[in-house]
Amino acid sequence: MGKLTLGVFSSLVGSLSMDFAVKLSEAAVKKGHKVDFWVSGNGTMLSKKAQRAFKDYSALEKKLQELFATGNFQATACEACAEARGYRKEDTMEGWQRHSMDWYLASCFSADKVLHIGGD
Amino acid sequence: MAIKKFAFVVKSLPYKTEASRLALTHAIASQTVEIYLEDGENVEPVVAFIGDGVLNCLKNQKSMNTYGVTSNEQHLKNSLLLDLRVLICKEDIDKFGISEDALIMDAEDIGGETRARVVPFSEIMQEMDSASHLLFF
Amino acid sequence: MKLGVLVSDFRNMDDTLSKLRADTLGIILVSNGVYHAKMKEGGKPSSVLEKSPHLYALSEDLQTRGFADTDIDGRVKAITYNDLVDMIFNEYEKVIWI
Repeated sequence: MGKLTLGVFSSLVGSLSMDFAVKLSEAAVKKGHKVDFWVSGNGTMLSKKAQRAFKDYSALEKKLQELFATGNFQATACEACAEARGYRKEDTMEGWQRHSMDWYLASCFSADKVLHIGGD
Repeated sequence: MAIKKFAFVVKSLPYKTEASRLALTHAIASQTVEIYLEDGENVEPVVAFIGDGVLNCLKNQKSMNTYGVTSNEQHLKNSLLLDLRVLICKEDIDKFGISEDALIMDAEDIGGETRARVVPFSEIMQEMDSASHLLFF
Repeated sequence: MKLGVLVSDFRNMDDTLSKLRADTLGIILVSNGVYHAKMKEGGKPSSVLEKSPHLYALSEDLQTRGFADTDIDGRVKAITYNDLVDMIFNEYEKVIWI
């Protein structure tokens, strides 16, 4: 089994590209792979806690918690991109890390496969 | 493999979205990735502008004056200052009728020595072929 | 190089796709890219379908948009997320999203 690093810069809720990335992560983890999930830019919205699940809006917090619980999924948000958007450390969902962009490059370095979703 | 090449391929236009800016800042982050890696390991970035993405390379961007944000021009110059390899697709600048004079080709004004290169897409494709990972923006 | 290209949009994909060269080029239609598998304009199927013999469309994204897996261009194979994971790990050296 291998490691997939996903870099996702798409907006939460505003674009289903983020949902695609989370669903792909689920499928990969279920197959026994490890997944590193990096969000930058508008993608940092995904790291914010207390997302309300309405039927009209995609809701990913629960799926993320399930993924974290597998032990084969780690998610990291770009600290600068998050802070620029007013997301402080205390606003961050449990399980998420926050690092600078070099973390993503390091994750890619050790990944078997990288899929970068660079925008909405 | 001790050194892995990552190709940052930019096809997005600047400013409406931050995609192309993030391409440059992520490529620049290669300067500090070593802290996470084993001795002797490193990332070699190459940044390639293709399609509409070549318009990121036009001089005289005034985003700092107009929106208070660092321009992609400045980010591109920072990349060259840090000796990142920057390639600009020849076919696409020819398509737009852009001459090299209109492009950001160097960072000499801030002490940089590395120049960007206008190259045929086939050369960019070779870089993509030999890269370990591809990141399209 | 075996390159998998996840095509996520219906417009403005031709320029990049026409340029890419690979020993094997897989075109995997996802998100709005699945419209290429179904829609015709002026009676003609999408030119994206001419770019490679290896054509796939994500079944969930087809269904999201009101299309059945059996309802798409015969050249395109409907795949699941599980299939996509296998393709990423086993069939393509590199994958990109456009």
